[in-house]
Amino acid sequence: MTPARRSSAASPPHSRTFPMTLSRLLKATGLAALLAVPSAAQDQLVVKAGTLHTFAGDPIQNAVILIENGRITAIGSADEIEAPWNAKVVDATNMVVLPTWVLAHTPGGLSGGNENMANVPFLTVQDAIDPSDTFFDEAIRNGVGTLHVIPGNSTLLGGRGMVVRPYGKTVEDMTVRDAGGLKLSLQADRGNSRMAQIRALRNALKDAQDAKAELERQRTEWQKEKDAGATEKKEFDGEIDELKKPVVDLIDGALTGYLFVPSAAEVPEVARLKEQYPAMKLVLVLGPSCYKAADRLKELGYPIVLEDESIEYVERDPETGDETTVCPPKVFADAGIEFAISLSQSGNSARRYPWWQMATMVRHGVDRGVALRSLTTVPARILGVDAEFGTLEVGKVASLQVLEGDPLAATTWTRWVVLEGEVAYDKTADKRLQVLFGETAPASGEGTTGGSDRQEGSR
Amino acid sequence: MTARSPSLRAAVLAALALAASPLAAQEAVQVFQGARLHPVSGPAIDNGVLIVAGGRIVAVGGADLTVPAGAQIIDCSGKVITPGLVDAGTTMGVDARDLNEQGEEVTPAVHILDAIDPASRDFVRARNSGVTCAQINPGNRNVIGGFGAVVKTAGDTLAEMLVMDESGLRLTMGSEPSSGNRAIRGGRPEGIYYRRPTTRMGVVWEARKAFYDAMAYQQQKTDPNADPETMAIDPGMEVLSRALKQEVLVRTTARAEQDIRTALRLAEEFGYKTLVEEATEAWRVIDDLAAAEVPVLFSAPSSMNGGEGTDVRYNTIVALAARGVPFAICSGAGGAPLPLIHEATFAVRYGLSKDVALAAVTLRAAEILGVDDRVGSLRAGRDADLVVWSGDPFDPTSRPLAVYVSGEEVSE
Repeated sequence: MTPARRSSAASPPHSRTFPMTLSRLLKATGLAALLAVPSAAQDQLVVKAGTLHTFAGDPIQNAVILIENGRITAIGSADEIEAPWNAKVVDATNMVVLPTWVLAHTPGGLSGGNENMANVPFLTVQDAIDPSDTFFDEAIRNGVGTLHVIPGNSTLLGGRGMVVRPYGKTVEDMTVRDAGGLKLSLQADRGNSRMAQIRALRNALKDAQDAKAELERQRTEWQKEKDAGATEKKEFDGEIDELKKPVVDLIDGALTGYLFVPSAAEVPEVARLKEQYPAMKLVLVLGPSCYKAADRLKELGYPIVLEDESIEYVERDPETGDETTVCPPKVFADAGIEFAISLSQSGNSARRYPWWQMATMVRHGVDRGVALRSLTTVPARILGVDAEFGTLEVGKVASLQVLEGDPLAATTWTRWVVLEGEVAYDKTADKRLQVLFGETAPASGEGTTGGSDRQEGSR
Repeated sequence: MTARSPSLRAAVLAALALAASPLAAQEAVQVFQGARLHPVSGPAIDNGVLIVAGGRIVAVGGADLTVPAGAQIIDCSGKVITPGLVDAGTTMGVDARDLNEQGEEVTPAVHILDAIDPASRDFVRARNSGVTCAQINPGNRNVIGGFGAVVKTAGDTLAEMLVMDESGLRLTMGSEPSSGNRAIRGGRPEGIYYRRPTTRMGVVWEARKAFYDAMAYQQQKTDPNADPETMAIDPGMEVLSRALKQEVLVRTTARAEQDIRTALRLAEEFGYKTLVEEATEAWRVIDDLAAAEVPVLFSAPSSMNGGEGTDVRYNTIVALAARGVPFAICSGAGGAPLPLIHEATFAVRYGLSKDVALAAVTLRAAEILGVDDRVGSLRAGRDADLVVWSGDPFDPTSRPLAVYVSGEEVSE
């Protein structure tokens, strides 16, 4: 992780209350004292921006952003705003400032994001997030400030996600929202046919519906008994089985489902689900070929997140063998459908870079603004954190990135990342990047990927 | 960008049939006007004029260049034209099952040319992404895997595509040639998976033994007392003898530091001409590479997994450039390389200048392959292989609008 630390003195914009096993363990063993090195409290921060993209209005040249206690208190051009003399200054007068990227869906940073059991809606990534995973280092280095980390696509009902920032030594430190969405997948895995997968999902939802009906029946019975004076119970104390509760909340619309739709062939099932469970709130996470059902998806109206591979892919005609390169975002944009995009969590793919994903779309004719919104305002809205993230406005959380150039250029690197008013990434202090650039000799034993990949890459 | 003359096809065929003969005069003349030209062999020209006839470049210049009367004008204002890209290390166009002749560990006499499928989709993909010429190698599962060839990515027949056969003999260091092989521990020793070598040491020994055998073969052939009637011709030994006489370039694939050092040592030991392919850990061996004046075909800059337990460094290419090591950027390595221009874009991301990066996928690549008299630059007399880009080719939002091979548009 970057050497800078979250200041314990700064008041975090989001508080959380659930108990953390890891932090308890750390406290019990006294490790917490070692980890929590408080830096000088940074109550005020001034960012001077050469070009500022707020995504809430036109770009501002030569701008100043004033930050206090993690929130933006003023934005304007340099001659309008007077910076407090004692505030810390991020001088980005030659650079480009914009909100940090928001990922609406990523299975990155988990140690084991795909549970083998198919129906485990009661699990949570809180127990799987590995704060030391280099995925988070890479994320902040690429300007990602907010991520909805959620189980992978291989489990039918995979558990709950949470919204984190890629910064902190513990899951507790990283938490933005401990309650994320519930992951569902229509991907036929583990030898299942598509028929069986769809059937299994219907069964799981039906089960939850039955459990809910049963609870209602019990309540009615209790009410009857109470009215007849036949029970001592003053309050009804029945409750839904904890293991089924998340799915009941899902069909009630109290919990948002993130449904992975691997191909266009599964889209009709999404329509059936909507018909049967009209209260259910879904976000659709789409595989590459789903663009073929763009019209249907537009009718359904669910928010859309495109998988990292769904930005550009090569489709091969099974009969003629002809290959066509398709850009699904172009199809969605042309159909007037809004979407958020994803990044690869593989450290060896160009798709892990926001600039690559956005530039790829633009190369295929997608509007730059649409591309930029697909990693800022749209995902923030999907996650329901748009009151705080996704744009830079007075009153919002000060999570911003300073880029050395145009956000879609290959030559642009992230210079600083400010998360909630604190400088959380500084390129000049990025030790790992320095090693990768050969600027510092690797420490002994550092860097080798070991023997496990010796057989890879053979042709 | 779709303007094309149907008669050009015939012109190309005729030109190829006549090999290096000057352009067949009476053919249509195309003039690409208004683009920013990157000849690579010289400085960029804004608002340039490029004249093509008979499949060749006739003239390159600024707006003042005289345009022949009756020429077909192709307006390229606001666009960028570069030479067609040259990928100096690939296995494109060959079925994966055909890459490695596993009959023996050392198969110097086999030719990848016999396995290339001109109708392969690889070529369509390559030319759509701006690659007009490529070195195709045999696979890396043999210690000495045979001859590669340089081909154009467009053409109806292999003869039409071929630029140079026997453009390098593939030699592979490291663990690839031994992977899958096992020492005999019971079981049936005649099975192919029981073959040698089984270790990195064994791989080097096989290579060394092959060259020793070739030296002995040469000696026997040149022995004045030997009866030429009884001397059997061994095609493999003939090839290796040519390598020892520096008539054949040995392309040594080496990724890890020790393998690159071995590649240099073997070349010095036997006196053959070599280059190092893939070269993931070249950054560790930069002094030796510079001293040996051995070219490097680096692949692939976007990849963070060089295999062989290697450590990838972003600055490898910049370091090669700074030390004056001749190099080209290839898509060759395992994994899923990006289109060649994007691999070069990653090199630019890591600090390489755009001019050097463009040369590394055009003229430098052609020079290393020995085909720079035909491809790699926009110069009069060169094949009219060129790419019209929507903008700066290293801007990831740019794309190839039209790709020409020998003056004919080949992109879809």
